[in-house]
Amino acid sequence: MMSDVTTPVEKLRAAFGKTIVDVAILHGIPLVRVGKADVPLVAHYVHTHPELQGTLSLLWAVDHRPHEKRYELCYLFTLADPREWLLLAADLLDEDRLFPSITPHIHAAQWYEREIRDMFGLIAEGHPDLRRLVRHEHWPKGTHPLKKEFPWNTVLGRQQGQYAFRHIEGEGVFEVPVGPIHAGIIEPGHFRFSVAGEPIMQLEVRHFWKHRGVEKLFENHTLTTAVPLTERVSGDTTVGHSLAYCQAVETLLGLEVPRRARYLRSLFLELERLHNHLGDVGAICNDTAYTLAHAHGSRMKEQIMQLNDRLTGSRFLRGVNCVGGVDVDLEASRFDEVVAELDRLEKDFTELEEIIFANASLTDRLETTGFLNERTAIDHGVMGVVGRASNINRDVRRDHPFAAYDELQVKVALYRYGDVRARMRVRMDEIHESIRLIREVRARIPHGPIMAPPTRAPAPGEWALSAVEGWRGEILYFVMAGEDGAIHRCKVRDPSFVNWPAIQYAVLGNIIPDFPLINKSFNLSYAGNDL
Amino acid sequence: MFRILRKSLKTGIVTGRYPESPESEAGASPTAGQKARPFRRSLTIREVDTGSCNACEMEMNALMNPIYDAERFGVHIAASPRHADALVVTGPVTVNMEKALKEAYRTTPDPKLVIALGDCACDCGMFKGSYGVTGPVERHVPVDVKVPGCPPRPAEILQVLQRLQGQRD
Repeated sequence: MMSDVTTPVEKLRAAFGKTIVDVAILHGIPLVRVGKADVPLVAHYVHTHPELQGTLSLLWAVDHRPHEKRYELCYLFTLADPREWLLLAADLLDEDRLFPSITPHIHAAQWYEREIRDMFGLIAEGHPDLRRLVRHEHWPKGTHPLKKEFPWNTVLGRQQGQYAFRHIEGEGVFEVPVGPIHAGIIEPGHFRFSVAGEPIMQLEVRHFWKHRGVEKLFENHTLTTAVPLTERVSGDTTVGHSLAYCQAVETLLGLEVPRRARYLRSLFLELERLHNHLGDVGAICNDTAYTLAHAHGSRMKEQIMQLNDRLTGSRFLRGVNCVGGVDVDLEASRFDEVVAELDRLEKDFTELEEIIFANASLTDRLETTGFLNERTAIDHGVMGVVGRASNINRDVRRDHPFAAYDELQVKVALYRYGDVRARMRVRMDEIHESIRLIREVRARIPHGPIMAPPTRAPAPGEWALSAVEGWRGEILYFVMAGEDGAIHRCKVRDPSFVNWPAIQYAVLGNIIPDFPLINKSFNLSYAGNDL
Repeated sequence: MFRILRKSLKTGIVTGRYPESPESEAGASPTAGQKARPFRRSLTIREVDTGSCNACEMEMNALMNPIYDAERFGVHIAASPRHADALVVTGPVTVNMEKALKEAYRTTPDPKLVIALGDCACDCGMFKGSYGVTGPVERHVPVDVKVPGCPPRPAEILQVLQRLQGQRD
């Protein structure tokens, strides 16, 4: 217990002494500033130290021009126990465009560092894979949209270029390209399989077809007007994204959200989790051609979406969250309606579960398919439903309570098998848990206002971070204020961005016909990933 | 077996259990009705997402669930544009998806319809002007029907499709 006395920051001070330039605490998050050359060493220490075991949660850059001539790189780690945040920061001054890569030590950084290169033109030296990520090859050289001098409405030209896929060569090895347009009603993305016979030897995911420039568009908004944009980052996670954004802005504005609003936020977040999970359970079964379960699943999903519509006027719960609270209040009779509907639904769903589990041929398709082992999941920082199916015991609702989760105890579903069935089981357990939480909300919700007026304006350069456990997993928002309530920088991180690379490992050794099934069990967002 | 039968009997027929939506404000080009004539009884759709937030996809999927069951009006979803009578395009056309959209249009056999679904497809919505977006669908391929809404409700989409097929005024 002695070691518990030293805080993570003190540990870093003891280990690195004068390499640490500065230490500060902002909104409860310790910020440790180091020279850029020392980042890999310090990051590696935080990542591997037995008492810290930091997981890289987010890595992003900020362009501080025109006021200061520097770029800032920020590395957000989530420590193991207690699950607190630790932020490492380093500056790139003047014309400096190079920074040392941490990817060789910390796998989870690989896409982030490629993203920073594309968006800012900053190059991670020593990164094993510096191909373009967001910018496809036809984007002109030198296009780095998040640099401040790049106008948001630039019309891009075109150049010639081709993405260099990784090839496996040998007798009987075939490549199967799939996408960007897929067979079902789903979003665009490209998958390149290398197969020898039936088993998949390699999968390469090529995404960012839907890149709309969301992060740049945030910079056209003020802190309070950007909520509708957050709702359209990934449409199926409307509440999750808008809530994460609102929380960050509320921290900046010093707003204390009323308790009633916090309970309503939990209610809407759980409704969103419910309709997505219900749809997914059915859709996973559908990808094994078990359409009966799909019909029931999509029927129940529709039931919740119609309930959403009756409660808020939007099937996707749009316009519910706003900075300072919520825009929709519910009368007591409405709560009774919700709980009565969910009671019926739970009975209905339990019967469906029995039908699904009684089906041996279905179980046979789901078990051991798309196995993601715990080690790979840890290395990639995999989170959410996918993580919890591979024994990653993380849930923001429990670890960093937000909304009303400090008073609602969340029981986290955890499985260790890491296959499609485990991911379906996590969803099933979470459906029951969401229904229980909504009952709790009805029992405990206090009366009072649902909105708090802003009390202060943030100083330019002030920032806040916020996390929300959306139905897919942890959604992170970093918001930095600019002049007069404008947004200087908004970094959006959907859990999909972290989980997509992991799917490349989960499919290995499986057959291509099982890929849709595995993909469905991950059910990641393309829009939230591509931004 | 009995469990499944019992479940089906208990659930009953759910098709049509949705609130009637207000008249859709969808606009059709003057030739749309004429072009849709061959598809009055059977319309096969290929959905192409060119950068939507995926809410429109969810509503298109809902169209095929037992409650809306678009199949009862002869609306099917095809896996390839080569098998399609109509393209339903969602989202603003992103820089990266422009080529794929044009290719999908080119490979769809004539006669064909293009339906722009949702505010983004009609006029880029919130993403108008962004460097990542090249413009609305009609900038790249001729559009016959525009369905506004963010996203349009499944009942609305169904209404538009039925009107297009001449099954409804």
